[in-house]
Amino acid sequence: METLAAFAPALPEIILAAGAMVFLMLGVFSADNARTGVFIGWLTVLLMAGVAIMIGTGGAERVELFDGAFVVDAFSRFCKVLILGAAAVSLMLSFGYFERERIMKFEIPVLALLSTVGMFMMVSANDLISLYLGLELMSLALYVLAAVHRDSLRSSESGLKYFVLGALSSGMLLYGASLIYGFTGTTSFTALASTLQAGEAAQNLGLIVGLVFLLVGLAFKISAVPFHMWTPDVYEGAPTPVTAFFAGAPKVAAMALLLRVLHDAFPGMLFQWQQIIVFLSVASMLLGSFAAIGQTSIKRLMAFSSIANVGFILIGLAAGTQYGVSSVLIYLAIYVVMTLGSFAVVLAMRRANEMDETIGSLAGLSQTNLPLAVAFAALLFSLAGIPPLAGFFAKFYVLDAAIKAGLTPLAIIGVLASVVGAFYYLRLVKIMFFDAPGEAFTQAEPAVRWVFTLSALLVTFYVVYPAFLLDAAGTAARALVP
Amino acid sequence: MLTAVFFYLFAVLAIGSATMVIVARNPVHAVLFLILTFFNAAGLFILLGAEFLAMLLVIVYVGAVAVLFLFVVMMLDVDFAELRAGFINNAPIGLIVAGIVLIELVALFVTGAAGGLPASIPVPAPGVETLTNTEQIGRVLYTKYVYFFQAAGLVLLVAMIGAIVLTLRHRDGVKRQSIAAQNARTPATGLEVIKVPSGGSVFPASEGPR
Amino acid sequence: MIIGLAHYLTLAACLFTLGILGIFLNRKNVIVILMSVELMLLAVNLNLVAFSAFLGNITGQIFALFILTVAAAEAAIGLAIIVVYYRNRGSIAVEDINMMKG
Repeated sequence: METLAAFAPALPEIILAAGAMVFLMLGVFSADNARTGVFIGWLTVLLMAGVAIMIGTGGAERVELFDGAFVVDAFSRFCKVLILGAAAVSLMLSFGYFERERIMKFEIPVLALLSTVGMFMMVSANDLISLYLGLELMSLALYVLAAVHRDSLRSSESGLKYFVLGALSSGMLLYGASLIYGFTGTTSFTALASTLQAGEAAQNLGLIVGLVFLLVGLAFKISAVPFHMWTPDVYEGAPTPVTAFFAGAPKVAAMALLLRVLHDAFPGMLFQWQQIIVFLSVASMLLGSFAAIGQTSIKRLMAFSSIANVGFILIGLAAGTQYGVSSVLIYLAIYVVMTLGSFAVVLAMRRANEMDETIGSLAGLSQTNLPLAVAFAALLFSLAGIPPLAGFFAKFYVLDAAIKAGLTPLAIIGVLASVVGAFYYLRLVKIMFFDAPGEAFTQAEPAVRWVFTLSALLVTFYVVYPAFLLDAAGTAARALVP
Repeated sequence: MLTAVFFYLFAVLAIGSATMVIVARNPVHAVLFLILTFFNAAGLFILLGAEFLAMLLVIVYVGAVAVLFLFVVMMLDVDFAELRAGFINNAPIGLIVAGIVLIELVALFVTGAAGGLPASIPVPAPGVETLTNTEQIGRVLYTKYVYFFQAAGLVLLVAMIGAIVLTLRHRDGVKRQSIAAQNARTPATGLEVIKVPSGGSVFPASEGPR
Repeated sequence: MIIGLAHYLTLAACLFTLGILGIFLNRKNVIVILMSVELMLLAVNLNLVAFSAFLGNITGQIFALFILTVAAAEAAIGLAIIVVYYRNRGSIAVEDINMMKG
């Protein structure tokens, strides 16, 4: 750590943070209008793309920095590229919407960028303090983004709700972290793992209580049942592109953090945390699937869909094996593509300048806008897990991992939940193709059309060349679970 | 012995004022009780030998955060009596849940079920160089923990941007002083020479005909 | 009479529970909810400082230091959101926020 070159592994974070500050200054000293905002927005997207290429082509060996508080390995590389992709795409989706709503400010991309730095810190966290600081850096920016439409009651209410529950969950997480520190004397994941190798230490009741509090705090962030209550309201109230942002990158980061904590710091307590994860998984899948049935707003439906998906992702985590980790990563990648595509469709649901986010407005879409209807149908079939679309493979891998780890009952519940889930996804397809058409939607802007077309193509033709994703996820999983 | 007396003094006052924070009818009182809680916690920190954090708690919390709370409470003209209406309905279930959690946690710590902890603060062995609390923190904060220090800086930056983006409004029609514009004035821009035709009337070009 | 670690942990547990209780009791009043969150964080800090003293390890105090920093930032953002909400609604009652609604 004597020379600056020693900090090279942290270069992506440094570039993003410095970029955020440069863009902030650029915005402050430019004209205060929407054009500045869009310009800085595109600069942010370019920066994210550049950093993604830099990370993707960089090395993958494990490097620890800052006295072991920060770790870079193949796992963090995979998650960071995914986070950057999700963040950049949801930013691209947002410009048209924010301009129409006259709330395009240059602070929006800057906050998204700083939030991405927080997610990077979470993915690379190897210490309870860096875990907490990364989580808060991400969350604080997200609270502001949820309330960014400050003249809209719904937006500010969703920001308030998200904030209150987020602050409560941080409190829980910290109480857990303090107990873990107290009963082991360290905050470093590496030191925790070696302390817990001795079977005696893992039986410490205070430590187990601490772990439970920590998991409760993280379950809030990934919106796993029973800590999901903020999700539908926040998804519905926040501006749609912000919701798309919430559903993508932060989910990946929080899930990666969960994987990192459980596998890096608490491998010795697998038995204790496995039960908690199984419970969260079952509850999320069932509630997500059943509660989605009665929804009339497509954003609420997507919220419950994301809760159910979190349940499926947790199946892979509950397996606690290397294969389980790689199945989680594959699921996350496919989930991000499907979710961003679906939100692009939601953003295309607009007549003149009025967003119409009710499910009923999709009626007869196949007759008024066939490309949109076909793309959305492909995404929905994939979300429902119909072969040979990508969503089927995502579900297949996590269920397979659970069965191989001896969690067959969990896998059976997963299959049942996905059958229920298929019902409400297919109901949307039926409404689009067989109901009487309403008024046509206004032509969406190019970015939105590109995103839903590309994501529909990706989920449809994933089966042609799955090796790329499988290899990348496999390498990443090997870095986490040897 | 004296430590025990002070511990119980601070502890009882902290719990009492924390209770008042959540049950006080008037939010201004709640903020003031919050300040009292923080003062007592600072006292406890001093008993534990963490002087630096104790001072920080008083300066940052009492000096900044609590005053921020007070400011917002007074700025928002809210009818707080109305807000208390739902209090009683929630009380029984809340008390039961909280009671159970508390009993479990206390039982865990008091019975020693958590185990594996020293009973008293370890005294450094004689001969070992002893540093003051502040020096101990200062030695590691900018070296071993510089990463966290930078990250905390980013968190504060986000808070600053967020608070500005949410609450700052440029109102039209408010007269502001622009020193640059004032200094840039020349006689040519500040003075308008108007020829008045005999028998007619004129208006400055900047105002236009009324 | 010796004041041991258990005394401090019990006190912190009391404060933490009071914080959670405050959130559930004052579901309509967001400002008091925010103060309850501050109480929870104070309890965590007390825990950390006590552990740090009894373990003879400075890390806990560093952790508490950063929690103080972040909590100040959190309070600033929370109060800003409350101000925005108040401007739109003319009240800070959160009854319709109804946190337990699925």
